[in-house]
Amino acid sequence: MTAIRRIDGFAWLAAPALVYLGVLYAVPLALLLFKSLSTAGTFPSFAGYAEFFGDDFHLNILWRTLRVALLVTGLSLLVAYPTAFVLARARGVVQTIILVAMVLPLAVGVVVKTFAWSILFRSDGLLNKMLMGLGIADEPVRMLFTETALVIAAANIFLPFMVLPIYAVVRQLDPRLVEAAATLGATPLHAFFRVVVPLTLPGVVAGAAFVFSMAVSMYVIPSLIVGERSQTMAMLIARSYLFLRDEQLGSSMSAILLVIAVAVVLGSSALIRRLGGGRT
Amino acid sequence: MAHLQVSGVVKRFGKQTVVDGLDFAVERGELVSLLGPSGCGKTTLLRMIAGLVHADEGGIALAGRELASVPSHRRNVSVVFQSYALFPHLSVRENVAFGLRARGVIASEAAARVDDVLALVRMQAFADGAVTQLSGGQQQRVAVARALVVQPDLLLLDEPFSALDRKLRETMQIELKSLLKARGMTAVFVTHDQDEALTVSDRIAVMNAGRIEQFTDPGTLYAKPATAFALDFVGLSTRLTGQVTQFESGRITVATATGELRANASFTRGSKVLLGVRPERIRIGAGGTEDNTLQVAITDVVPLGARTHLYARAADGDRLLCELPGTADMTETRPGDMVTLHWPMSDTLVYPATV
Repeated sequence: MTAIRRIDGFAWLAAPALVYLGVLYAVPLALLLFKSLSTAGTFPSFAGYAEFFGDDFHLNILWRTLRVALLVTGLSLLVAYPTAFVLARARGVVQTIILVAMVLPLAVGVVVKTFAWSILFRSDGLLNKMLMGLGIADEPVRMLFTETALVIAAANIFLPFMVLPIYAVVRQLDPRLVEAAATLGATPLHAFFRVVVPLTLPGVVAGAAFVFSMAVSMYVIPSLIVGERSQTMAMLIARSYLFLRDEQLGSSMSAILLVIAVAVVLGSSALIRRLGGGRT
Repeated sequence: MAHLQVSGVVKRFGKQTVVDGLDFAVERGELVSLLGPSGCGKTTLLRMIAGLVHADEGGIALAGRELASVPSHRRNVSVVFQSYALFPHLSVRENVAFGLRARGVIASEAAARVDDVLALVRMQAFADGAVTQLSGGQQQRVAVARALVVQPDLLLLDEPFSALDRKLRETMQIELKSLLKARGMTAVFVTHDQDEALTVSDRIAVMNAGRIEQFTDPGTLYAKPATAFALDFVGLSTRLTGQVTQFESGRITVATATGELRANASFTRGSKVLLGVRPERIRIGAGGTEDNTLQVAITDVVPLGARTHLYARAADGDRLLCELPGTADMTETRPGDMVTLHWPMSDTLVYPATV
């Protein structure tokens, strides 16, 4: 009885957040979903979805968006995983420096960071000057407006969201477990794949979910790095609202993107629960 | 050559020398304890033997093989960690099988060996359970099973009982000792708990400040501590300081603030010495000519069940401890009583006084 009453008492603390999210987030979202399912006053209607899935142009963009998001997630994981270990094992000033280096760029803003990358990638940019100065390339290599540039820039910008959840798990990892594995005859490689990887997987899944859901819906970064040449879902949504004035197509695509993001979040939290099941 | 031979090992962390030119040898099938206060270097020594820490100087050899260039995973030395370090993502059975899988033992043989060792520690019923659901005692059994199943040349145990409550601890100590003895296992325990060391070991190495003070069987360690540190660290004792006034045919007379005491030892006149005596050697009443005798005031009577401790204070303030068999009401002594205490001169231990 007391336990139930206690939960009730604390539940009131969630009221501001519930009101805030309910009025300013859930209601517009419901309106958006409603709009995606109505054509010229008739409800329900799947014309918007039919329009999207009936056009290869749209499907190509969806596929490209998913591919870029996966590549961004993969690249940032590759860079973040070892970084998280360095961060977790570092002490004192070194750890503070790495943490600040991780968190400070978040305060700079996506637009500024993306512009910085576009300056690097330009044909007369720093990277090309270096390549030509070193004699690796004879003429400027086209980097800006390519998918590779997009993946590199986005992975860099989202990196903290991959490092921090992995770091949180690595910090909890008892170094004795790796020692125990070694004394039981496990080579460092065996210990890594049988002990370290399974125990840090919840952090990897959380970080991947963060980065993937941000990468799948990113708008500013592809706009500035690849422009109209190679669109992503978010750019297409903006286009259908702002230029095509096709609110139904825009809201349908928004709903599709939302479903993907929700599936990733639910799927990953289910995965974390299963992975973490044995270790309460 | 001994089964485990540690020679001249030195380990420094920064400017601090943690293990200071230590020699140590364990015979095959022996159960040995490294006993000492925290910071004495015992855990560092254990970690060096396991290959988890590299020695700065000296050599470690196991079964005739020099270990300096052998990594942990090829030493065939198992460790039971203080925290047990069970793999939280694996079941009991998978934890125990870990070492066999790492060594590439085929699945069917591994399964049979895991079952055997789980039966040995009476954990078959929990084989498929999660290790995180087990009690401390059960976790310890799994940790021991996991370490034994790979048939190590040497088993190292780092404070293996410290996480268990007192009653369970004693049961587990006896159980583990007979299990290791039955298997002919060579094992080194690290502990700061003298009762644990006395219970589980054939021999005890008392460690202090990175060195071994004394390495002998539990009986000798208690009866004849080699150093003042060993006297203080193992068991209870009464300690009195004084100056040698007379030395004659292997016998010294020492002037303490409490009175004149005699002991069998060789010290030159004028040396400052520390005298020690075990509390159960001290008896109430006037002794004979071969006894040391002191007049004291009883300050406290502490009933400990089957034994009773008397705390006494001599004229100048030296405190003495006397242990009597039997319950408190069997001794007719009360706080404030003036009594005469005596003990055999041959039971008086003598050490050079430090400072």
